[in-house]
Amino acid sequence: MSDGIRLEIAERELPSGLTLLAVRNPRVLTYACVASLEVRAGDEPADKSGLANLVGESLDEGTKRYDALGLAAAAESIGAAMEGNHRGGVVMCPATSQKEALALLREMILEPTFPGREIRRVQAEVLTEIKAEDDDPRAVAARRFRKMIYGDHPLGRPTQGAAKSVAKLKPKDLRDFHDTWFRPAGGYIAASGPEETDKTLDRLEKAFSSFRGKAPKHTPMPDVELAAASRDMHVPMAREQVHVYLGHLGIRRTHPDFYVLSMMDHVLGTGPGFTSRCSRKLRDEQGLCYAVSAGITPSAGEEPGTFTAYIGTSPEHRQKAIDGFLEEIRRIRLEPPAAQELQDVKDYLTGSFVFALERNSNLAAYAIRARRFGLGFDFLHRYPGIIRSITAEQVREVAERHLHPDRLTVISAGAS
Amino acid sequence: MVEQTMLPDVEVVELENGFKALLVERGPLPVVASIVWYRVGARDERTGETGVSHFLEHMMFKGTDRFPKGQIDLQTSKMGGSNNAFTDSDSTAYYFSMAADRWETALEIEASRMRGCLLDPLEFASEKNVVLEELAMGEDDPWRPLYQATETLLYQVHPYHHPVIGYRQDLERLSAQQMRDYYHRNYGPNRAFLVVVGAIDKARAAARIRELFGSIPRVTERAEPLTEPPPQGERRAELRTPHSVVRMCIGFPTCRMGDRDDYALDVLAHDLGNSKNSRLYRRLVLKDELVTDVSVLNETRQDPGAFFVLCELREGSSPARVEAAVREEIAKQLEEGVGKKDLDRIRTQIRASFLFQDEAVLDLAMKLCRFEAGTPGGFRTLEGVLPTYASLQNKELREVAAKYFDFRRAAIVWAMPAAGSVPANAPKRRTVARKPVAKKTPSRLVKKDDKVKAGPKAKTKQKSKTKKAGKRA
Repeated sequence: MSDGIRLEIAERELPSGLTLLAVRNPRVLTYACVASLEVRAGDEPADKSGLANLVGESLDEGTKRYDALGLAAAAESIGAAMEGNHRGGVVMCPATSQKEALALLREMILEPTFPGREIRRVQAEVLTEIKAEDDDPRAVAARRFRKMIYGDHPLGRPTQGAAKSVAKLKPKDLRDFHDTWFRPAGGYIAASGPEETDKTLDRLEKAFSSFRGKAPKHTPMPDVELAAASRDMHVPMAREQVHVYLGHLGIRRTHPDFYVLSMMDHVLGTGPGFTSRCSRKLRDEQGLCYAVSAGITPSAGEEPGTFTAYIGTSPEHRQKAIDGFLEEIRRIRLEPPAAQELQDVKDYLTGSFVFALERNSNLAAYAIRARRFGLGFDFLHRYPGIIRSITAEQVREVAERHLHPDRLTVISAGAS
Repeated sequence: MVEQTMLPDVEVVELENGFKALLVERGPLPVVASIVWYRVGARDERTGETGVSHFLEHMMFKGTDRFPKGQIDLQTSKMGGSNNAFTDSDSTAYYFSMAADRWETALEIEASRMRGCLLDPLEFASEKNVVLEELAMGEDDPWRPLYQATETLLYQVHPYHHPVIGYRQDLERLSAQQMRDYYHRNYGPNRAFLVVVGAIDKARAAARIRELFGSIPRVTERAEPLTEPPPQGERRAELRTPHSVVRMCIGFPTCRMGDRDDYALDVLAHDLGNSKNSRLYRRLVLKDELVTDVSVLNETRQDPGAFFVLCELREGSSPARVEAAVREEIAKQLEEGVGKKDLDRIRTQIRASFLFQDEAVLDLAMKLCRFEAGTPGGFRTLEGVLPTYASLQNKELREVAAKYFDFRRAAIVWAMPAAGSVPANAPKRRTVARKPVAKKTPSRLVKKDDKVKAGPKAKTKQKSKTKKAGKRA
């Protein structure tokens, strides 16, 4: 049984409200830095869907000092891989290049210029991606599923936005969004590498101490309600398989039931290999599919995620697969898992969590998560104890509380 | 410092029955990765039994004489670990990631299933449905049929011709007995090796390996496949797909993995297509705005492999213009080679990519496996990898480009929307039935974390275009 892990993490909050985090990973010769600012889904205007995504995609298309090619060449010449996203970005590099890489990340996040020609090109790329997704039944089903669950809530929009909206976006929209929301307060910059945490924090402070300004108040996110009753919809597409999403509104990461639910997920549908009930039954025993999963915790974030069950199968097996999910959902609400089944999941969870600590980018992202969700830096030390203390009856109770087999949304796309 | 990480301190254990183990101690995290790599893949399949290697890989999780059905995954889970496997043309690999205090169970599982896989007929029938679903999933993928059609054109004689996942008709007809014969013919200690990396006690691990694998009998050695004759002209095909985006794949026959030319092709691939500053990206994406995505793959294998260029067209772009632009850029590379500044940048990127593979024990284990299996010098080749890249000069790069990037030997496949039109400049056409692409020998340069793109988007998407057949989604 693995014991908890104590990571060497340090933090420093700047007067601007930006929090810097440093993780020491002495085993490696590499470095990663992750920036995650306080940009929320609701900050994107409803009539400009896809704006936040386009901002993230376009951060590396030019900065005050570099054009798009210059920035890429500068990163490549030090062996760095860098990318932006709607909350900031990530850079990874050999540890010997961390100073230069950090400077490039800073520049990409804080000083993008969103040049017109480049933005039009990225826009066209995103539009092609949307079109490719329109061809992909799994993506079509996933998109409809979110829309049905969240309705007009910002989370109901596809990340890339609607084609009509994306086509209308102008570089000025991107600049305005960036100027407004890429602000330090409430944001995090986390780095992981072999250097001592104090040194890492000093570097981060030097890079980001001039990052100032305040964002306006975020618009409060509207509440989302569970669907009143079950609904079932199919989008026919000429394909070999049908992709089925089934589920309902889920929980936030901060929900007190999160850990018990993570155990429920492993019993039900996210356990490794064919150990979960859904994969054992639908794939291993019935041979209905290649890919199957079900869980409520993987999508839990700052906003409520979804309970999502997914299967890709042949059209003649669609109903059998849905019935299979339903049977397992009902069962886990009624019967506590057997002692051995529960113990097997505990053994897995308490042994496997260390794998998330191997890569610098994961360590930096973990530090941010620990801080953002109030887990505490000693979380990984406490985690095995939390898992070991969970009982079978608790698993049944949370399943009953959080799974709603009579209020499911079922969406499929593909072969009929 | 960097060179040290290319070749870690490896202890080699060799058994009399031909089995070999490479052990690397790596702390301080309490994790271990182990991989058993079989020199058995789709190339070893006989006519009419295509897909049996990959299907067998699935069955290797369905019970052995010591670990009944369900126990392999259950034991893995109890070890705090995960397992998976993949099959490609040359190899089949099974891997575990586990907590360090329980990892030896993985050895017991591997030893047991080397000769003791049950291949129960009922399980066989059920898993056949899973494999057929996997095949259907591949048929729906926009890249796999395109890629597979290119391979089919490139290899007319060599077994690389057929898809790793197999032809549907072969899979449907395949019997449990055929699979059993295939298994007993090919799975044995002299056709496999083991790599273990992590918080292990090497002496203890070596003793356990001897105990578990030492008495397993040999199987017959691998038969050499037919040699692919050089193509006598450009080969073309056009697929009609349900996808509305137009895509293209060009393949050139190349060399074996580990040949000196292979290193040069890696550099040429970087120069041509795998970063924002690459020739094709600058021309096709940035300047002409013809495509949204271009990627290049140097896909060397145990037998001569291929070099691929893949494009995804912007709406309204002319296929003829795209193909002409690719031809022009390749011609420029033949003439100019790779400039010094670009060569320095590419070498730095390659060096970094090797460093990133050392962050996680499974990545390091996989790197050792690829070199052990794929190069004549085995894992020790790693020692000379960076010096070899460093020794490449422009004259040699130009020679290698001229040697392989010859359109008279290329295979060119277009995937067009079902109602679309063919490229205007296509000199001859041959329609290839849509077949699933499974597979891809993993590129030697393992990509960095999936979440981070190294340059253009093409870089991260490359994985999905060239996915090998595997046990999991």
